[in-house]
Amino acid sequence: MTLHPKERPDGTTRRDFLLRSAAGATLLSGAGGLLAACGNSTTVAQATGTSGEPVGPGGLPLARPDKRVVLPRWEDPIESGLKPETGGTFTVYNYPAYLYKKLLKEFGAKYGVDVQYTPFDNINSGLARLASGAVTPDVMEITPDTLDIGVAGKLVKPLNLDYIPNLKKNIWPQLIDPFYDGESRFTVPYTCYATGIAWRTDHVTEDIAGMPQPWDIFWQSQAYKGRVALLSENRETIGMALLRKGITDINTEDPALVNQAVSDLKELYGICNIKVDDIQYQSVPEGSSWLHQAWSGDMIAGYIYYLPKGTPASALAYWKAPHGKVPIQNDCFAICSTTKKPVLSHLFLNYLLDNGVAYSNFVDFNGYQPPLNEIDPSSLVTKGVVPENLADSVLTDEDLGPDSLQYGTLTSVGQQLWEDGYSNFQAGGGS
Amino acid sequence: MYRRWLWPGFAFPGVLWLVLLFVVPFYAVLGVALGTVDPILFQPVPIWNPLEWNVGWLTEVINRLAPGGIWFDVGIRTVVYVALSLALCLLIGYPVAYYTARHAGRWKGLILILIILPLWISYMMRMLAWVNLLQANGYVNRFLMFTHVLSQPRDWLGGSASTVVFALVYGYIPYLILPLFASLDRIDRSHLEAARDLGASPWSAFRNVTLPLSKTGILGGAVLITLPMFGDYYTPNIVSSSPRTSMIGNQIDLYFHGGPQPTIGAALTIVLAAFLTLLMLYYMRSIHRAQRAVGAVGAL
Amino acid sequence: MTTVAEPRPTARPSAFARTRGWLRNPWGKPRFLVVFTWAYILWSIVPVLIAVQFSFNATRSRTVWDSFSTRWYWGDPVDSVWHDPSLRHALVQSFKLAGADVLIAVPLGVLLALGLARWHGRGSGTSNFIMLFPLVTPEIVMGVSLLLVFTHIFTLVHTGTLAQILGHITFSISFVVVIVRGRLFSIGRQYEEAAADLGASPIVALTRVLLPLLMPAIVASAAVVFAISADDFVISAWLSSGGSTDTVPIQIYAATRAAPLPSTNAIATIMMVSTLLIVTLGFLVWRFFTSGERRAGKATEDIGGAFNLT
Repeated sequence: MTLHPKERPDGTTRRDFLLRSAAGATLLSGAGGLLAACGNSTTVAQATGTSGEPVGPGGLPLARPDKRVVLPRWEDPIESGLKPETGGTFTVYNYPAYLYKKLLKEFGAKYGVDVQYTPFDNINSGLARLASGAVTPDVMEITPDTLDIGVAGKLVKPLNLDYIPNLKKNIWPQLIDPFYDGESRFTVPYTCYATGIAWRTDHVTEDIAGMPQPWDIFWQSQAYKGRVALLSENRETIGMALLRKGITDINTEDPALVNQAVSDLKELYGICNIKVDDIQYQSVPEGSSWLHQAWSGDMIAGYIYYLPKGTPASALAYWKAPHGKVPIQNDCFAICSTTKKPVLSHLFLNYLLDNGVAYSNFVDFNGYQPPLNEIDPSSLVTKGVVPENLADSVLTDEDLGPDSLQYGTLTSVGQQLWEDGYSNFQAGGGS
Repeated sequence: MYRRWLWPGFAFPGVLWLVLLFVVPFYAVLGVALGTVDPILFQPVPIWNPLEWNVGWLTEVINRLAPGGIWFDVGIRTVVYVALSLALCLLIGYPVAYYTARHAGRWKGLILILIILPLWISYMMRMLAWVNLLQANGYVNRFLMFTHVLSQPRDWLGGSASTVVFALVYGYIPYLILPLFASLDRIDRSHLEAARDLGASPWSAFRNVTLPLSKTGILGGAVLITLPMFGDYYTPNIVSSSPRTSMIGNQIDLYFHGGPQPTIGAALTIVLAAFLTLLMLYYMRSIHRAQRAVGAVGAL
Repeated sequence: MTTVAEPRPTARPSAFARTRGWLRNPWGKPRFLVVFTWAYILWSIVPVLIAVQFSFNATRSRTVWDSFSTRWYWGDPVDSVWHDPSLRHALVQSFKLAGADVLIAVPLGVLLALGLARWHGRGSGTSNFIMLFPLVTPEIVMGVSLLLVFTHIFTLVHTGTLAQILGHITFSISFVVVIVRGRLFSIGRQYEEAAADLGASPIVALTRVLLPLLMPAIVASAAVVFAISADDFVISAWLSSGGSTDTVPIQIYAATRAAPLPSTNAIATIMMVSTLLIVTLGFLVWRFFTSGERRAGKATEDIGGAFNLT
């Protein structure tokens, strides 16, 4: 059966097709008119406060190392001298595998509670789940740049420092009254780390620490194509490109600076086929990555846990910039507003700041240094915890201060700017 | 003979489930994509009333995907990867399906089992298997150096597009072979015999009889693998962590990790779904056409 | 006078000559296709076998074979599947989700298949369309939509095991429908009509005639649903609430991106063997139920019917 040329196989004629497209066109233009009447905004929140200064979530001021902020208490802390609650469960909300389970068990045994550990993917999604009521933990890990969300959203409780004497006793002076949480109203510090460069001395021949601008090594790494990687964090990648050009305001919201940093990062595609991941604590010791932007704790953990037999410790190296040019960050712990055991939560925070407990968590488990007074680089090297060539991974109180660099909270406009810049970098396109 | 409501009644629970958990979620994505964001928690605040929809995020996404936008390259790259993978899957899968359907004889059952086997093996495990093989000191490099094809180990996992396409082909090809086999298997031998009787050479018989009759199978298999492949983001992540091989699914994934703009992720999801719906409509039209053509042949 | 000559004994051709003859035989099947198909099968399956082999490696390497050991299954006190709680929980979670999925999706799907196949009134076309869509929707689109619906509309079900189960059932129903419908097509209406002619009521015809005939497809679809649920990564990951709700594919994905130990191979092997056992069981049951109907081509007719999507 042959088809007549005028007979369309699917039964439509040209007239039908024209009618249908006309209908479609009318529909689309009608939709266009409707769309024009809709809202058309990509603003998330007010970026400036009442007097025009930039503000973060909930209108809270943006803390910087040279601009101390005291957060407003949204309720009164509990009274002093109360007895700790016992029995039932006590839930710790943290990144996965970031707290030594043995220490949790010992705390539970001491106070007669069953300690549970609930992980979150990242702090923002963790706070969102907390706000939605999906989880009801007692204490949670938090960072200075997400603390504002916790306070503005009334998700973390104000502290009564009478229950936490270890804070003043054991912790670095700079962090007893930190710039991001004046008077330690809501948090106690947990671990601290810097961002630097980790590399394999047996593959990378350059003297990175001796370079005038060591971050330039990424832009000169043609020889290590496919073995070079950056951290998969928008602040760290763009911040690194800023620091490389000598720009120390790593909290800038200037679109020109951020976009230029993204352009610089895009040069890396062609230079070394740059990768982006967060497995440097394993990939550098195992040798699948030779040059990686890394946090200071990564190489210590890598040395302790992931160095394969047969690879000498001298194969690992770490560099961080001198004071004032290196981004330092410290994680904290706070008490969740959903807790039913506020006194015990305070005691848990105190427990975390105990010299023995914090040291054990560091050396026996996660490799991230707690800001204890009794830890200093030379003692760690002599004890064999850290090999000589990784001494730069250890931080001291002097690394902090008003002239230090720290990634802080941004206004929502700034957050969008950095997130979009990172998306641009991750898209792998040109220009 | 059966009460009028018996069969619709049977279908009701399933349809209700799908409406609640498949259709309604699409509306949730629309509501989020055309909504706003909570200023403190950066959680999406959906807007349900179409008259109040905020199209800012959607126009932003469309601008980024347009030529000159920051996602234009990713979009093109995704289409290229999917097209290449589809072509390779067809090139490899068609002969295998053809052999199994037409010439396998007493081996047919065994070969069919072996072809279906990968469907029961977890996708992740199959990717893991290749990641192990493609390591610097893995079997692939060792074999290639042993046969002197390579003089030194090649870095397969350092961010190369060919590895990503290879992984996509390996991962998705079993889903193409099965419908191809099914449609080739159903082709009546007598059509081919008639063609041969009329003097066609084997190749001509294949081109003029078998290939058109297997069109529904090709289209069905192609749809079955390309539509999901457009949303794949885990395969490039596993075999290459390089931005230069990322696909559009990676961008959706990026915006749902706690940042201030989950609405962009939702809007991009809407655009992707709309694009795929267009492809699906094209498929259905082609199937309709192919079936009418087959019907014409069958009337002979 | 004629004599019949003794047939002269010929020497058997050498193996080489026989192979050459086989290759050159113009009446034989296409040699290229045979070789190509078997090469494909090897390429498809051997890498997985190697991965299984390395799960029994005595050292931490997944690329250099040392010697046989069950260390990664139960031997190693820290990292083996038996001792590592995250791996153990992942296995349990995977089985939990797959089991719940089979128990709920199969009955729903069978009912839906029966309804769609026999329903010709208004709404059947739309319902059919809705049923087909999950089959071709990219998982990330489903993952995003389910995540958003569970956090903004059906907020009683936030992320977690319940959300994962509901998500799995949603994409599994369509597979059950497609498989059962294929079987329905090949059965035809003849048996139900015969039962009606013999005076059976609709319900009796259904339960005593149609359902037993459908058994092979139901069992097959249960095995398929188990397999796809065990294999699922995207939906489980997007609806997971972290930690104990991670499944085996999620663990494998995380480990493969970092630096997997052979224990990753081990947990993948355990999952694969379990799935294959269940599928084989389903296949044997299917064979038992279709033993009366088995003639050449009938088995593949069911598979063919399954792919008759429109």
